[in-house]
Amino acid sequence: MLARVANNLFWMGRYIERSEHIARYMHVNYFSSLDAPNELSRSRQFVLNSMLRMIGAPEAGENEVLDEEAVLFKLALDPEHPFSIISNVKYARENANSARDLISTDLYESINKFYHFVLKYPEQHFLKKGLYDFAINIIEMSSILRGRIRSTLLHDEVYAIIMLGVNLERANQLIRIINAKYYDALYAQGSYEAKFSKSFEWTTLLKCVESYDMMRRFYKKTPTSLTTLEFLILNPNCPRSMMNSLNQVYTHIRVLDNSFRYNKRSTAFLVGRVRAEYQYKYIEEIEGNIKQFIEAMLKNLADIGDKMENEFFHY
Amino acid sequence: MPKEDSTIFASYQRDPSLFDEIYDAKGQIKDVYKTLFQLYGGHSIPDYMTLNEKARSSFFNQGITFQVYHDKQMQEKIFPFDLFPRIIDSKEWEVIEKGAIQRSRALNLFLWDIYHEKKILKQGVVPLELISSSENYLHQMIGVDPPGGIYNHISGTDVIKHNDGQYYVLEDNIRCPSGVSYVICNRTALKRALFGVFNHYETHTVTNYAENLLDLLESVKPHGVDVPNTVVITPGMYNSAFYEHSYLAKTMGVELVEGRDLFVENDFVYMRTIKGPQKVDIIYRRIDDQFLDPLEFRADSSLGVPGLFSAYKKGNVTLANAPGTGVADDKAVYTYMPEIIKYYLDETPILNNVHTYHCSRPKELAYVLDHIHELVIKPVDEAGGYGISIGNRLTKEEIETVKKQIKEHPRKYVAQPIMSLSVHPTYIDETSSFEQRHVDLRTFTILGKDRDFVLKGGLTRVALKKGNLIVNSSQGGGSKDTWVLK
Repeated sequence: MLARVANNLFWMGRYIERSEHIARYMHVNYFSSLDAPNELSRSRQFVLNSMLRMIGAPEAGENEVLDEEAVLFKLALDPEHPFSIISNVKYARENANSARDLISTDLYESINKFYHFVLKYPEQHFLKKGLYDFAINIIEMSSILRGRIRSTLLHDEVYAIIMLGVNLERANQLIRIINAKYYDALYAQGSYEAKFSKSFEWTTLLKCVESYDMMRRFYKKTPTSLTTLEFLILNPNCPRSMMNSLNQVYTHIRVLDNSFRYNKRSTAFLVGRVRAEYQYKYIEEIEGNIKQFIEAMLKNLADIGDKMENEFFHY
Repeated sequence: MPKEDSTIFASYQRDPSLFDEIYDAKGQIKDVYKTLFQLYGGHSIPDYMTLNEKARSSFFNQGITFQVYHDKQMQEKIFPFDLFPRIIDSKEWEVIEKGAIQRSRALNLFLWDIYHEKKILKQGVVPLELISSSENYLHQMIGVDPPGGIYNHISGTDVIKHNDGQYYVLEDNIRCPSGVSYVICNRTALKRALFGVFNHYETHTVTNYAENLLDLLESVKPHGVDVPNTVVITPGMYNSAFYEHSYLAKTMGVELVEGRDLFVENDFVYMRTIKGPQKVDIIYRRIDDQFLDPLEFRADSSLGVPGLFSAYKKGNVTLANAPGTGVADDKAVYTYMPEIIKYYLDETPILNNVHTYHCSRPKELAYVLDHIHELVIKPVDEAGGYGISIGNRLTKEEIETVKKQIKEHPRKYVAQPIMSLSVHPTYIDETSSFEQRHVDLRTFTILGKDRDFVLKGGLTRVALKKGNLIVNSSQGGGSKDTWVLK
């Protein structure tokens, strides 16, 4: 596979995954705040700020009041804003375009439909009443894309590259979402029924990564900071967990580099090293230092991305 | 029978002065079209509009689009597609197929000759200045032997039916003829919208193009290569034919590369992969001669590969089509096709040539200047329907301008009698009904070492503007699925 095209496919995977996470974060937070148990979590400003934090955009200044429609537009349909869903979908399609000969017609057609759906979505409808419809469609279409990736492509290097993009991005988005919700839980604590460890925000966090139902099945208890973080970071059976993403990344990097020679400069070595660090961790070691963990993990993921770039995409 | 006035063909008006493909000499609907006419005639207008919409979204979803700028916004458009197919019966097709192969073979021999011994020029069959004054004659190709002896691997022959019912060749395209992907997409779109009609006809498939293309390209692999590595090279995703490039690479199962993905070392060509360099043996190139290699041709080309031509001259890589083929699909060379076919193959041309007046010959120039109103004036070296003047459509002032242009550069122009392209019922949005529109046909021929292939089908292009004779998509043309019957 051409190095240039590999790079494009890798980013196609990332952009697909990224747009889905933004859509889900947006609608889950918005709707769960509508009947949240405490006042702060119900505040619209609180939710809008959380959304901005998640995509890495500047939050509101001290006395600034955020405009709901402006924030929602920025996250979803603003073509000028590089983090918006519409920009992500555009990039995903552009990357798919340049690799059109390598991916299946079915996959391309789905990406193309996805793109036209977002492009044609009426702005006013979205801002007034279409938030749920828009977000759900994005989530469903990206599921279809992942299905087509898995079931219509040859499981070879092309597939491995795309899956590396998907899983690295998934881990990345998860950490960002944990970061955003961790701050929400901190801000929202204080009043009665609003202790940090039992915050309502943990439920929202789980829903933001489609893991609430399974978490309940696993622990059979109301989510706390400890169980939520354990489930999302360390449990390898949770398909959205960081551990699961790292395992996937490891499997797919092995398709590109199956040498088991000692080579500390390879991407596979770094992935294995990061994975090994968390494979046998207690959540208690992380929960107390969540800020440190988030910073370290984001750096790890960025390093893996850089290494891949040098090893495979250098052209 | 459905009521006449409610159906889609009810208002079809036939102009008897035009040759309509679906009527025979007696003015009856041809047998091959009868069933089709009935099947389509059964649709009401709203019904048909829905189908049309379906076909459009099929193209749209497949991403078979081109981009236009409108109000600073980029918009995607589909190439207009007509749901009513054109049918060619097996007898007629045989003539086209044989004729297309004959021309491609003759052109190939002609190319070898003018880059080697130049016999045809020395014997005066084709005038020397025709070649020596051509911008497309590449001196770099003199004495170069292309692998397998093939220059024009892929030819696109444009054929029309005149009102005498005979097929005529309008052009041979042997640089980078495009359009074959639309042949296949048109078939797919028609199947999606109206699969039922295929039950009534036995039509040749068009999806076997790519496998034959790969097979024939591999038959001209460089000497000493066992299992060749083939690639398609494209100028990039913003090129208007990018869809076709990616389609061909995908269906052949080979890599689609850009110039920056390739490099040349010791006269061998390599591509940059995730596992390091990999040797490339056959390049189906979709970039023009002048951009192939900045060291040999245009130095400012960033689309090509430095050193590629040197690797080609050493015989280490096959380029399809070979550089320098453009000299032979020049409109001035076209006029010598009967002589060229006779000279190399000792055969009479199977497909007619349109009689051509050369403005470079004083006698013919005089005739052209006197009869502009009944001639088509064409620049010899423009593609895409640009620069064509149709005599009976010009105003007096325009005629004077054209005359002046011809007198200034007689070598640049040829003239032909105005050919009346046959017409075919075509659905027209504005009137929600079928109307007669002019059509032509581009056929695709592939030459290999000992085998050739003609795609059974082709791109029927339609001039959507009423009365318009220019069918190129850049001039507002659409296309139709083309059925060659078994």
